[in-house]
Amino acid sequence: MLIQVFISSLVIGSIYGLIALGYSLIYKASGVMSFAQGDMLTLGAFLGYTFYGLLGIPFFMSLILVMVVMFSFGFLLERGVINHIIKKNILQIYTILATIAVSYLIQNGSLMIWGGDTKYFPSLFQIKQIPMFSIKIQTEAFLCISVSLIGMFILHLFIKRTKLGTAMRAVALDRTAAKACGINVPMTIGITWGLSSSMAALAGILIGPVYGVYTTLGATIGRKGFASAVIGGYGNMVGAVVGGILLGIMETFTAAYVSSAYKDLIAYLALLLFLFIKPTGIFNEKALVD
Amino acid sequence: MLRVENVTLNFEGLIAVNNVSLTVQANKISGLIGPNGAGKTTFFNRISGVYTPDKGSITFDGHRIDGKKPYQINKLGIARTYQVINLFKNMNLLENVMVGMHSNLHSNFFSSMFKTKVQRAEEKEALERAYDWLKFVNLEHKAKNLAGSLSYGEQRLLEIVRGLASNPKLILLDEPAAGMNSKEKEMLHDLLNKILEKKISILMIEHDMKLMMGVAEYIYVLNYGQKIAEGKPSEIQNNPKVIEAYLGGE
Amino acid sequence: MKLLDKFKMEYIGKVGIAVFLLVLPLIFHAFNYDYGILICCFGALYVIAVSGLDVLFGYCGQISMGQAAFFAIGAYGSVIMHKYLGIPVLVSMIISSILATIIGCIIAYPASKLVFHFLSLATTAFGEVVYQLICQSPKGITGNFTGFFTDYPSIFGYKLNTNIKFYYYALIMVVIFLILKSNIIKSRIGRAFIAIRENSHAANGMGINVTKFKVMAFGISAFYTAYAGGMYAHLTRFISPETFANKQSVMFLTMLLFGGTASLGGTVSGVFVVLILNEILRSAGRYQLFAYGGLLLLVVVIFPGGFYRFIKDFINKQKGGTKDAEG
Repeated sequence: MLIQVFISSLVIGSIYGLIALGYSLIYKASGVMSFAQGDMLTLGAFLGYTFYGLLGIPFFMSLILVMVVMFSFGFLLERGVINHIIKKNILQIYTILATIAVSYLIQNGSLMIWGGDTKYFPSLFQIKQIPMFSIKIQTEAFLCISVSLIGMFILHLFIKRTKLGTAMRAVALDRTAAKACGINVPMTIGITWGLSSSMAALAGILIGPVYGVYTTLGATIGRKGFASAVIGGYGNMVGAVVGGILLGIMETFTAAYVSSAYKDLIAYLALLLFLFIKPTGIFNEKALVD
Repeated sequence: MLRVENVTLNFEGLIAVNNVSLTVQANKISGLIGPNGAGKTTFFNRISGVYTPDKGSITFDGHRIDGKKPYQINKLGIARTYQVINLFKNMNLLENVMVGMHSNLHSNFFSSMFKTKVQRAEEKEALERAYDWLKFVNLEHKAKNLAGSLSYGEQRLLEIVRGLASNPKLILLDEPAAGMNSKEKEMLHDLLNKILEKKISILMIEHDMKLMMGVAEYIYVLNYGQKIAEGKPSEIQNNPKVIEAYLGGE
Repeated sequence: MKLLDKFKMEYIGKVGIAVFLLVLPLIFHAFNYDYGILICCFGALYVIAVSGLDVLFGYCGQISMGQAAFFAIGAYGSVIMHKYLGIPVLVSMIISSILATIIGCIIAYPASKLVFHFLSLATTAFGEVVYQLICQSPKGITGNFTGFFTDYPSIFGYKLNTNIKFYYYALIMVVIFLILKSNIIKSRIGRAFIAIRENSHAANGMGINVTKFKVMAFGISAFYTAYAGGMYAHLTRFISPETFANKQSVMFLTMLLFGGTASLGGTVSGVFVVLILNEILRSAGRYQLFAYGGLLLLVVVIFPGGFYRFIKDFINKQKGGTKDAEG
């Protein structure tokens, strides 16, 4: 039973981790907190359902397709909308409001396109459960955890080892210096947002088979994802993942052993606790100065 | 009046201020000079409470003030201006000065909300005093203009007057002449003497040596966070260590 | 224009507005659009709620994305006290608002140390916590998703049981709240708020206890928004958790930003524009929230600063005047 709970917590934890990674990437690149991340997850889930469930495209191809589509979406969003608002150099609240507006647009756009009922993925594998650690793990759960971890690892390698990844880190540290080094800063920022969206979309297509897909799927996860980012240290990549898993564990164990009614409360209480007591999170990530 | 003893400020290994002691005498202008990066503004921040204590003590009028928050230190009678202009750009001149008076006004939440007679009288008097302060620096004709619309030199004057509005006993001026032309500097020179007449003491950081030597009665010199010399202007001008600090640092 | 004439014009303008507001319900009735009176009632209570947010954000610069929490505390607090303790409605509204103020001040104290983005997260989280608590209240005291029925307010036995009666009560309350807000803003307290917004370090150096004033601003916004929540509850006489979700916090912020912060006219116009927009979009059915999101985005891109300010500046430019310091 304990292992079962732990596996569930890893499933949701890895999802939180993917969302939180997106938050941290965006914060470091543009200095904003995007309230639309969760809805990127929803969109990814719906697209995955469309590609795999409706069009019959093989699952892993659908996964890649979804990530590519959402990457472009995130990229275009930043270049086309967010960038213009930030450039106007007005109150930061307007940028946040813009991301909220995008969030509403996605939620209701999904409603219009796919309807309000929950969509279910057709079964992914022949094998329903995989025996491991003396219990049987649901295949979807296993898939979710493993692909998330692989995705995070690939992202990590990308950021640390590739030229583009280094450019992203440079832009995050010091935009002017990056420009002086010849880095195409606008493109890099756009790519960062694109990556964040595809991470969220990946989370969506992984969690879709587990929970089913509905328009507000990502919204709650997105809000709770903030807690993961703060717990780990907002802006810190490793922190995002660790924070996500920690949050997953806290939430699932509370639901299993204390009370399932207040499950969602845990994330927000944890968020408040960390903000009030240790806003820099576990990995001591300093906030960006205004 | 202000006695700083053995103050050290350690920023995670970088010792910005190292064992500096100085005394500011009442009703005089004391100066603090030193090459860029010597730790002068950091030192000011230490006195005004922006940075918290590491080592040493600061005594003002007999009371220990190290460890107090900036607003508490302001209430005790120390005002300051900043190297970078920190005016409230979206408020007009009068409002800026009236904010400066904050510690001297006593209306609380309820008397403000219900506009009691006492509160109204206090506000009226504050407005008149604000006008007087603006007249002190010849800016009263621009009273209702936004602070952001003033010229650079005028903004500097407004900042000084905003600090004076709290009726401090001591005002810390951080490079008040920065960016001023020679005419404005002359006006500043007169202003400084007018401030002395109001029985307000001054501790001033300045790079303009002519101005400094012309007004200060006693000068301290910092370099790399340490005090390397102190004395009357004439002594400082001829001090080899001071000359080396400025020339050697170039 | 001579100064005296200018004063006369302003005076006549104000009297004109007052008269207009007083006969408005009759005008609606004459056009057979009684629904308009209800909208004005909502408008009035939203003006109060958003004015509270204006004090906190427009004047003091502290972002709050969890105002719906106070709206909820005011609403649920009042209805629960009224039902289970038998307290008359208007009194329960005030008590619940005071309760909200206390909670607001408690939260504000640690929150005052947070920088902008983190404050937005903290207030969002606070809003969610309250929302979760009203959805799954201990012993179901809030009625959870089934909702809670309640009464109209009554003044010494005189029940405000029609929209018109509620309208005049709401009008009086709006005037009171706005006058109090104006008094605070124009006082030393208001100046402290603005100073904190403009430059909190300099404000600290001027003798302003920044933490204390931030807490005060939160407290004021909590009281205003909670009272408006109470008004909402006793106007509609039925409340359920949906009204107090994150969306409501966003709507308050939208109303404030549409109209423009730190300005009386801005708040009022922002509230009514959003309300009217919501009504128009209601007929769009499925596309309602989509259009709402789209409009929101449009306004953010085109009218940052709120369009009340935009129009005012436009008119000023035509006259060749300078921009106002405050609205």
